Amino acid sequence: MIEHKPLYQAMQQAVSQTLENMAFMEVMEHFDPDYEIPAEQLAWTSLLISDPVQGEVRLAMTKTLLEKLTAAIFALEPEEISQAQMDDILHELLNTIAGLFMTNLLADNQTFQLGLPEAGEGELPELEESAVVWKLMTADEDPLQLFAVGVPLVALNKPAE
Amino acid sequence: MKRIIIADDSATARMFIKRCLDIIGLSEAEYVEAEHGKEALAAAKEKLPDLLLTDLNMPVMDGETLLKWVKASPKLCDLPVIVITSAGNPAKEAQLLKLGARQVLNKPVSPPVMMQALADFLDD
Repeated sequence: MIEHKPLYQAMQQAVSQTLENMAFMEVMEHFDPDYEIPAEQLAWTSLLISDPVQGEVRLAMTKTLLEKLTAAIFALEPEEISQAQMDDILHELLNTIAGLFMTNLLADNQTFQLGLPEAGEGELPELEESAVVWKLMTADEDPLQLFAVGVPLVALNKPAE
Repeated sequence: MKRIIIADDSATARMFIKRCLDIIGLSEAEYVEAEHGKEALAAAKEKLPDLLLTDLNMPVMDGETLLKWVKASPKLCDLPVIVITSAGNPAKEAQLLKLGARQVLNKPVSPPVMMQALADFLDD
């Protein structure tokens, strides 16, 4: 049995800590639980978790928020930002969030293994029914979303016995 | 002047680490950046740095393999290695310390945490 803490809280803390530390941005739950990022505004990336359970974590946000984050983190003017920098920021954010998420989620004696982030293209893949979604936004109301996908990972959502 | 190698496949992470080091007083150091462990190992053999900061999860050669190679090299075995990772927890940290890492820090790393980790190094 894998000892773990609550899934939802583990992700919420991971996102808050990452964005506050890397970009001095505060995040909160989105006021509209039905909100979806329009396809033409979507930037997303995903990362596989291979141990101790198999699953996938995805990070999606608007291109506007990604530009703001890139400008803040690299201390650049918006017109100086390159696509490569935006892709790298998106990957590093997910990498950091996923690591903190698993650290927050699992007991101290439990190691875990993350894959490398991969850029998403086009629309987000259709979600399995079991997937867990976090709909968040920044203080400027820029939306971002996290997804935990894969039955073994999502099964950790049940309280530890 | 200190010579420091930063190994991470993310340019963002390398920039972030370098910014932390600048803030804690290492802005004059000579930095060598590497995108994976193999590149960092080659740079370490050539430059003989004072410090190696490495990510764990990298393509080509990961940070754990890099650490093992460094500690197995007669030329580099005394090089202080600090692992900065998003995949760290107490169990992993204990494993890396046993392999010879000087410190294991979790991402996102902040200047105060970096300062504490490098206190001895900064005093030298």
